[in-house]
Amino acid sequence: MTSPESRIGRYLDDLLRNARPRRFKARREELEAMQAALRILPARAGAEPGPDPAFVDRLGRRLRVDLEGETVSAGLSRRRLLGSAGALAAAAAAGAVTDNLLITREVQQSPELVPASGSWIPVARTSSIRDGEAVPFNTGSMEGFVVRTGDRYHAVSAVCTHQGCILQAAGQGRLSCPCHRTTFSLDGAVVVHQLPQTPPPLPHFRTRVTGGVVEVFAV
Amino acid sequence: MSLRANRALEVLEGMTYGDWETLYRDNVVAVYRRLHARVGNRPDAEDLTTDVFLRALPRLRLPTSVRAARAYLMATAKTVLAEHWRTSYSAPPAAEFLDGLDVGPPDDPADVHRGEERARALLARLPDNFRRVLELRFLRGYSAAEAAAELGLSVSHVRVLQYRALRRAATLAEEDEP
Repeated sequence: MTSPESRIGRYLDDLLRNARPRRFKARREELEAMQAALRILPARAGAEPGPDPAFVDRLGRRLRVDLEGETVSAGLSRRRLLGSAGALAAAAAAGAVTDNLLITREVQQSPELVPASGSWIPVARTSSIRDGEAVPFNTGSMEGFVVRTGDRYHAVSAVCTHQGCILQAAGQGRLSCPCHRTTFSLDGAVVVHQLPQTPPPLPHFRTRVTGGVVEVFAV
Repeated sequence: MSLRANRALEVLEGMTYGDWETLYRDNVVAVYRRLHARVGNRPDAEDLTTDVFLRALPRLRLPTSVRAARAYLMATAKTVLAEHWRTSYSAPPAAEFLDGLDVGPPDDPADVHRGEERARALLARLPDNFRRVLELRFLRGYSAAEAAAELGLSVSHVRVLQYRALRRAATLAEEDEP
């Protein structure tokens, strides 16, 4: 059990070495101390020299790829890639949405996407989904895949948790992102990626089957 | 090589950006500096700067006025900062962490000097024992162990002292800018 003095001690040590400070759950008093440290940091002689030119160039190149779609498959526009609710769902997957529309609850492995004021929306007939298959659906504000495993059905978000591109079913139990080649399994786990940080798993929709129809709780 | 780009790319207020590359080159340094001032280290500043541009640029329709683009970049920076504090330190989305993020010309030298002056003024207002330990850590670059040796204290005593000193500095700063 560490004390505020030792947590702030480590934070200060990291800051003074220009290293990324370790993450921790900070109390109010600790946050205040951290803010004070950030205020005092500029007192050191020699102002922050600005960004590393190599970083500026790298980010510029990455933006060029993103905006000019060099990795985009022919025929797909960026708007289509982000999807109607792409940004919203991606933000929700990251837990960043705090308004009334969406509540995300992180369950151990599979976060759930539960709209505050959603309803049960039919998305597919059970008879139209083969075992092990992922069928895409779009409710107008949310996009996902219904997946059948034996006689059980679940639904995952179709929005890549990295930057919101819409995933495509790639066969053999895989959902793949056309933007950065990130691949997810049919239950949302990240299988492969080439990103600096592992993106979060895909959130699940609440799903039920009624009268041969798969429904998801969505908006 | 100057980061400031050549004369042809300098853009003045009241004008518009016709292409995203100019928008980026004209604002990346200012965004980075403002973020760095609020996270205090290069790795975080680079990550958050990346997040700001990756989110904001695809949503800006060109041509866009310099003023509008900068406002949008700074609004995005505020959101990115708030998320950073929340996910890294479980901080509430309180306004005090986000103050001062405003639209302004890039590389404003006044911004840099103000930060240095305010920091020194804050240190000067601390009681002697608090000021000494923070000066050793911040201005002289002493480690906690070196500061302990210099002050004739144990390392854990230095940690207690610097923590209290920072909290006192926080209170003083809060009085200035409620």
